[in-house]
Formats: sequence, C-alpha cells, structure tokens
Amino acid sequence: MMVLLQSLISGILIGGVYALIGIGMTIIFGVMRVINFAHGDILMVGMYLTYTLFSSLGIDPFVSIVITIPLMFLFGAFLQKVFINRMLGAHPQNQILLTIGLGLIMSNTMMLIFTSDYKIISTSYSSESFNVAGISISSPLAISFLITAAITLLLYWFLLKTNTGQAIRATAQDREAAQLMGINVRWMSILAFGIGSALAGTAGALISPTYYIFPQIGGIFTLKAFIITVLGGMGSIIGATLGGIIIGVAESVSAVYISSGWKDVVVFVLFLLVLLFKPAGLMGKSRM
Amino acid sequence: MKSTLALIRTTAGTSPVATALGLAVLAGLFLFPSFVKSPYTLHIMILFFLSTIQGEAWNIIGGYTGQYSIGHVAYFGAGAYTTMILMQYKQIPPWYGMLAGIGVALVVSLIIGSICFRLQGPYFVLASIAVAEIMRLSAINLKDITNGAEGILITEIPVFKIGNTVVTDFLSKVPFYYVGLVITLVTILVTWMVQNSKLGYYFQAIREDQDAAHSLGISLPLYKNIALALSAVFTSLSGSFYAIYIGYIDPSTVLNLDISVQIVLVCIIGGIGTIWGPVIGAMVLVPLSEALRSDLIAGMIFKTGLTSEGSAIGTFLKENLAHAHALIYGILVVVVILFMPDGVLGWVKKLTVQKGRG
Repeated sequence: MMVLLQSLISGILIGGVYALIGIGMTIIFGVMRVINFAHGDILMVGMYLTYTLFSSLGIDPFVSIVITIPLMFLFGAFLQKVFINRMLGAHPQNQILLTIGLGLIMSNTMMLIFTSDYKIISTSYSSESFNVAGISISSPLAISFLITAAITLLLYWFLLKTNTGQAIRATAQDREAAQLMGINVRWMSILAFGIGSALAGTAGALISPTYYIFPQIGGIFTLKAFIITVLGGMGSIIGATLGGIIIGVAESVSAVYISSGWKDVVVFVLFLLVLLFKPAGLMGKSRM
Repeated sequence: MKSTLALIRTTAGTSPVATALGLAVLAGLFLFPSFVKSPYTLHIMILFFLSTIQGEAWNIIGGYTGQYSIGHVAYFGAGAYTTMILMQYKQIPPWYGMLAGIGVALVVSLIIGSICFRLQGPYFVLASIAVAEIMRLSAINLKDITNGAEGILITEIPVFKIGNTVVTDFLSKVPFYYVGLVITLVTILVTWMVQNSKLGYYFQAIREDQDAAHSLGISLPLYKNIALALSAVFTSLSGSFYAIYIGYIDPSTVLNLDISVQIVLVCIIGGIGTIWGPVIGAMVLVPLSEALRSDLIAGMIFKTGLTSEGSAIGTFLKENLAHAHALIYGILVVVVILFMPDGVLGWVKKLTVQKGRG
C-alpha cells in the first residue's frame, strides 16, 4: 500500500511537468492546427540553455526560468514567423515533415556545440528528499511541481480573463470567425507558438536537475507530448493537464510494478488503447 | 488527379529511345561488377539499392495512398530481427528468414492499420511512431530473444545451394550486389504495377479525396490496409537484406526512428508519388551521406583554400562533419518542404514546362 502511494505521488509530481509540455503542444495545435514534431527538441534546447546558465554563470536551474521563459518565447516566435507561418495552409503531412526537419536541425546543432556526451546539473538538492508521513518525496521534483502549478494557474488566468487570452481561444475555436471579429490571427499564431515553446523550454529547465541532458532526449518528449494531447483531446488545455498527470502516474506505477525498462512501453500501449476506444480523448468535444 | 493521369500516360506510352536507354542502363547495372572491382564502390551501390527499395516501399503507402508513416523502421526492424534471430538461434538460412520477416512485418502492419485506419487525421502518423518505439523498447528489454542492447552478430552466412551445386558462398560483395539489384528491380516493377492497376487507382483516389473515394464505394480501411501491407513487405525485405549484408544489428541501428525519417526523405527529395522519385532521392542522399562520413567534403573545403586543415575552424570541420549528416538531413527536409514540395522530379518537370512555353 505504501509503495503504491509512494509511486502515485511521484507520478503526480512528474505528471505536473508533463502537463506543462502537453499544454504547450495543445495550444499550438489549437490555434494553428499544426502538430509540432519539434516540441521535444524545443524542450531539449531549454535544457541546454539551463545547463549553460548553470555551468557558466552558476545560476540555479529553478531561478534560471526567469531568463529561460522569455528567451524560449522569442525562439518559438521566431520559428513561427520564419518557418511555420509559410506552411499554415499546406498539407498537414508537409507541416509534420517541416517540424521534424526543424527538430533534427535543433538536436544536431546542439550535438555539434555540446557533443553527444551526457551532461548533468548537480545542485546541492539534486538527490535530496524529505519525508511526509513515511513517504519520501524528492526535493527537486517537489519544487518543480510547485513552479509548474503556479505557471499553469497563471496560464489559465491569462487565457480565461485577459483580452489577449480570449483572442487566442477564439482563434482556436474558429480562425475565420475570429478574423472577421477583428482579431489579428497572425499575431495570435506567433503568440501561441511563443507560449508553447516557452512552456516546453520551462519544462526542460524544471526537469534538468533530475534528468540526463543530451541532444537526442527530445524525441521521447515529443512522443509523450502527443500522447498527452491525444489522451486529453487535441486542443483541450484541461485535457492536457489531466493527460499529463495520468501519463506521469501510469509511468511511475508501471516502473514499480512491472519494470523501469517497460514503463515507456506501457505508456505507448495506453496511447494505442486510447486511439482504439476513445480517439477523441477525455475532453475531446469542448475545445479549451 | 490531373498530374497523376498525365504521369501515367507518359510512363505507359514510352518512346523507343527511352526504352532503349532503359535497357542499356539495365544491362549496365547487371554488368557493373565485372568492370568495377572496388569493394567500396560496390558497397555504395548496395547502399543505393537499399535506399531505393525503402523509398519505393514507403511511396506505396505515403506517396500513392497519401498516408504518411513516420514509423517505417518498425517493418525494417521486423525483417532484420526476424532473419537474424532465426539464423542465430535456429540456424535457419536467411532466405527462409526473409520470408518469416515478411510475415512478421505483415502482422505488425495489420495491427497498426486496423487501429488507425478507422480514424482520420494525424492519428496514423502518431500511432506508427508509437508502434515503432514499442518495438525498439521491446528489442532492448527482451534480452533472451534479441540479446538486448548488445545486438546480434553473425560471422558466417550459410552457402547458398540449389541441389548440390553451390551458387554462391557470399564471401565477396558481388552476390550482395546482385541480390540488392534484383530486389530493387522487383520493387520498382511492383510500384509500376500498383500505379497502373485498378488497385493503384483506388490508392490514388483515396489520396486525392478520401470522402469522394468513399462515396464511390471504395472501402477506405481495406485499401489503406492493403497499401500499408504491400509497403511493409518490401520494407521488411530491405531490413532482412541489410541485416545479412552488414552482419550485425542492434536496437539503435535497425529500430532507430532516424531511419524512418531517412526513408521519408528519400521520397520527398526525389518526388513523392512517382516511380523514379525514390531512385533519384537515393542517388542524392546516399552519396551525400557517404561524402560527409568519409571526410570528402572537409577535404574539398580545404582544397578551395577557404580554411586550412590546421586552423581552428579546420579541425572543427574535420572532427564534426562526419557527425553532421543528420543536421544536413534536417536542413534538406526544411528546404525541400518550403521550396520544392514536389521534389527534384517535380522541380525538373516545372522547369521543362516553363521552357516549353517560353
């Protein structure tokens, strides 16, 4: 029972970060109908940014998100303006290939700069943990969960309460109608890709104290981001939040009860089952 | 639809000159090993055959039916692993292993197809990747069968005999050259048959307009499954051939997602949905990646005098260009998708049309 509780809690903690990755992807898909195959690679860029800030300037990874968020936002806005924007009306499959190509460029550029060696960020608290009622909780995971929760709440507030946020949601619901209502759809697309990239980059920064950093790490996170968005219903932010937590829990429970080598397989099988039985996802009908 | 019809007409009614040229190329390919003895050149040709087979195979589902699979490494790996496991642990000659590999790839394709082809949209792309990853992780974890991350190494290939006469002992690259050439020709022939048959018209109708095809009574899941199965068969063959030729496989070489991207790249560079597109794509990609790998390009840059071998940039180039082929692939994908979405063939066609008009 204790073991189950333990794995549930660590699953929820890591699920929070997954939710952040999934929300980023779902916003991009919602506004532009583009599936971003470079999402994991953007996260990887965020990890290396955090690593560079930590190793050359000594900035703590959790503090460094103050720098990572705006930089990654600009990076995403740049990608949208220069590449994605040209392909908005194109065949969806060509959009997918374009983002795959961009992802390859990112991961291989990082490999040329940093080599493919594993990097680690070792902080004083990297392997620390504390006990709550007999359950041990990893400190970096707990901190990253708190930051994730704060960012998610802020994002909900932004999307629900501010004018710009509502404009983004309107664009996601119906691009043409939004345009007719005088919303600058192009600007919303740039904003959405920027926010999506910033969220992925932030997630990268938050997990960097607990993960190995290497150029090819993006692929697995791109896949997880898809699974989360499909599970939650593509375009649904609440769905992505739920999906992230579910995937986190599924992973950590199966790592304990099956084996850590098979935990990713469990997630992929879960994904195929969702496609088989509920392809619209948990929150498939209501968009955002 | 118009462009495909035009293409069918041009390939069906070939001129005598083109036929003669085709036969000459064919004869040249068969006589090639008697003139060229360099093992390296033969190696490049074999890689070119492999790439062409994969490209043509992907073309059937991706190019003609319009269903992009970014998980084709699943069938490649299925062929490679089945052949090698049977040879390693059961001493079954690879020729039978190839057939078994096709069987396994067919089963995998039916699993993916039956899950995804009921749905429209990007689900097929996603599920194809998920299945490929499941296979990669299984190959790592099922150590008893696959030898895990260490992979399988074979040192000896059984001699190929018909009756009691030895046909070949596979000690040089020449027999591999001919096996590769024959599989390539068969694959191209099948693609040609697909393009010009009723089945192929169904595929192309699905690609052009699913709903219209459906309303005309074409069963979407059935024909998409047939296209995927056909494609899986030849991709699996290329996997078996690769495994026997190289003699070593592990999850990171034959089940790596990069291979899927490479297969798609061969098609989009040459021209999607055309018979000769993958051939041209392979002609571009194989020499390019070999040149990057063998320091040829670094050497050429030094010769032009842009930078010297001893300088800082020079050493950086020399050390890293070999690893840069994936970066070049990425740049190629982006450039081709943005500027020549119909590939080299489409681009050339556009140029000739413009010339004809002007």
